[in-house]
Amino acid sequence: MSPLSIVGDVQVGFPAVRTGYGQQTYGNTQPQTQRATWVRIEPDGSVTAFAGKVEYGQNIRTGLAIEVADELRVPLAAVTVILGDTDRVPWDMGTFGSQSTARVGWQLRKACATAREALLSMAADRLDLPAADLEARDGRVVSKSDPSRGVGYADLLGEQELEIEIAERPTVTPPSEFTQMGRQHLIRVDGIDRVTGRAVYSQDVLPEGVLYAAVIRPPAYGARARSVDFAAAERMPGVVRVVHEGSLIAVLAEDDEAAALGARVATIDWELTPGQPGRFEMPSHLVESGTEPFTMQERGDLGEGFRGAAHVLESSYYIPYIAPAPMEPRAAVALWEGDHLTVWAGTQRPFGIRQELSAAFDMPEERVRVIAPEIGGGFGAKSPYGLATEAARLAKVAGRPVRVAYSRADEMAWSNFRPAALVKIRSGFGADGRLTAWDSVAYHSGERVMIGRRGADTPYDAPHVLSVVYRSDSPLPSGSYRSLGAAVNHFAREVHMDEIAEAIGVDPVELRLRNLSEPRFRRVLEATAEAFGWTGPRLANGHGAGIALGIDVGSYVATAAEVSVQEKEVRVHRVSAALDCGLVVNPEGAANQMEGSIVMGLGGALFEAADFQDGRLLTTTFARYRVPRIVDAPKIDVRFVGDDDAPSTGAGEPGIVPIAAAISGAVFGATGQRHRELPIQRYL
Amino acid sequence: MLTVTVNGVPREVVRGDRNLLSFLRYDLGLTGSKYGCGEGLCGACTVLVDGQPLRACMTTTGAVAGGEVTTIEGVATGETLEDLHPVQRAFVEEQAMQCGYCIPGFVMGTIGLLNREPHPSAGQIREALAEHMCRCGTYQRIEKAVQRAAGGEA
Ligand code: FES
Ligand code: FES
Repeated sequence: MSPLSIVGDVQVGFPAVRTGYGQQTYGNTQPQTQRATWVRIEPDGSVTAFAGKVEYGQNIRTGLAIEVADELRVPLAAVTVILGDTDRVPWDMGTFGSQSTARVGWQLRKACATAREALLSMAADRLDLPAADLEARDGRVVSKSDPSRGVGYADLLGEQELEIEIAERPTVTPPSEFTQMGRQHLIRVDGIDRVTGRAVYSQDVLPEGVLYAAVIRPPAYGARARSVDFAAAERMPGVVRVVHEGSLIAVLAEDDEAAALGARVATIDWELTPGQPGRFEMPSHLVESGTEPFTMQERGDLGEGFRGAAHVLESSYYIPYIAPAPMEPRAAVALWEGDHLTVWAGTQRPFGIRQELSAAFDMPEERVRVIAPEIGGGFGAKSPYGLATEAARLAKVAGRPVRVAYSRADEMAWSNFRPAALVKIRSGFGADGRLTAWDSVAYHSGERVMIGRRGADTPYDAPHVLSVVYRSDSPLPSGSYRSLGAAVNHFAREVHMDEIAEAIGVDPVELRLRNLSEPRFRRVLEATAEAFGWTGPRLANGHGAGIALGIDVGSYVATAAEVSVQEKEVRVHRVSAALDCGLVVNPEGAANQMEGSIVMGLGGALFEAADFQDGRLLTTTFARYRVPRIVDAPKIDVRFVGDDDAPSTGAGEPGIVPIAAAISGAVFGATGQRHRELPIQRYL
Repeated sequence: MLTVTVNGVPREVVRGDRNLLSFLRYDLGLTGSKYGCGEGLCGACTVLVDGQPLRACMTTTGAVAGGEVTTIEGVATGETLEDLHPVQRAFVEEQAMQCGYCIPGFVMGTIGLLNREPHPSAGQIREALAEHMCRCGTYQRIEKAVQRAAGGEA
């Protein structure tokens, strides 16, 4: 127990849960407990903060620690942030949609502001000084008029055990008084653990007596085992047991190699599902299987818009599936202790996985603990985490802890891809390039309709607009990926804007400005053009330049890129980007996220594509699935142009939204060839 | 009896055909070396053998018997910046990481590079680390960290 705990309601997450998106995408996870401790001041005056988010590279631990330290007026080093352990942290829907700083950070700030006010009033009594004369600083409350008079938080709280409620409207610190938020921080709070190898990821969890499982996965999507012959596997040294329960087929062994070898010698008769569309059929398959048309945006009357147009332009854009391919393949470890289950799983939704486990074993959630350790990248893909249940089932059968880990090939095939999409755009515009009509129809593969809908509305001022999104069949498992479908929709729209600019001979920046009244869009575009030194798509040295803008998770973004093209290789030399995400809590962390999004988006723009035929994934290794390497990385400069008094919006996803179109535009500048299909290098 | 010295401690090689990465991670519990691909294509498993970087996933304990293996745990285990190896410190100072999963491999690859070439050019850095993968895309920071560690301009 701590001297001071600040408690409050858990957050029902992501606002979209109420629209049904969260329910549809992530299951109907609901908080089991409505109340939780958010912040504790410990007996030694240090501070512990709790959040249901997980750390998968977005540097949330540092971001939250900075907010807590600033709001509570303690040094950053005094703050510990506990994340992603269902037994310890407030319920949370999951870490996605760049919501961590925006929502959880705000809740923690309110909790800390409440605590600070309570400490100030306790100190006023203790020191017998007027509250107006007191201020909190460096873990102490001190008198402003006589700084020699003061008391540390630990002394002030002493032995008591106080629990207070987060105030409705505590005095949170205004930006002008920040001492830590918005400043450059030289190190991240978990940086040293990461360079010393101490940081524990789910691949690294090895409890005493753990058995290594090799789970045998189908050779193709839709394949089912007719029969399994384990005779040879059972004779392998080190193999402890074999399991075939429904679709779960596994070899358990004392070490990883014995398990893998056992799995290799198992003889399985697979029943395949014939007739699955392959990669070359995808563009037509998307259109033919399109269903559930959903109107994203509708205003005016298209007929009238096109009648009033001096020019009409129509183009289609195709974006193949791409793989998230995080560096850490998924792993899960399950441990049964009596009727209590603990599972370590590097998932973005530990509470959702807890619920799945409780359902799978028909036991109350209180007896299930899910711990999300450090996660080696996820980019949205690690919300589903079937390995958790597999590990728990196998551990139950074996009576020992069991570790299930994906190989690289498993991670490539049995994750979820960013949906493939086809977008058709027809625009009408005047001789000056001002849009009169915008007609966009998009087909995105996959069940989760919200993925394709994200970012499908145009920010440009056309008076007559219709944007419709269809859900199409998905031969590959598809799901969340950084920015969902926004990067895809933005690619189509922004390349189209470049085509309009070219058609009437206007500069792409100028063309966009003529069609943009929203000042936040204009500001990011102008800031990017200025930082980049924008002079148009064709550069003197034979290089090309491209620029694009967008919005995602409430943040406005623009990006410009310079490329050169040699035969089949595009080299991206430099990228400038401007982001307006409101108040930036941790500029270094946000810049890092922007840089990462840009590099990731570069891969999808130039060379990433998941290839498949007859239900088989062909790109299961890094030898066949090219991801950006250090030699591909451009020089990137990022500037933040938002207002400090605007609420923080996401920084982890917007960077990927405009980059592919900027690169396409730059390749056009260099070669005169317009690229409406990704990845560009396949079409050079 | 075959032995391999890991971070200065001689270890018995029970099975010479044991994969070196599995041996380090699962038999010795040195989980700082990461599994990323198991086929020599990502660099997450990089260790030093007699000072030179090697993909642990692509070799066996038998193949390195008699040698000196250094893993990230053998570089420096300090709690503070001052207690770290200069390469580790440079990665922290440049915030050259996101999820961090690739970072032990990059640190080992960088130490190997600086062993061979204490003042690498930008081109040499890129070439030496070209086979390492950082899916989080922190390459620009990694390059700066290597330059900083090499005493160059960061
Ligand atoms: S795990 Fe060894 S190179 Fe990828
Ligand atoms: S920091 Fe995540 S893979 Fe490099």
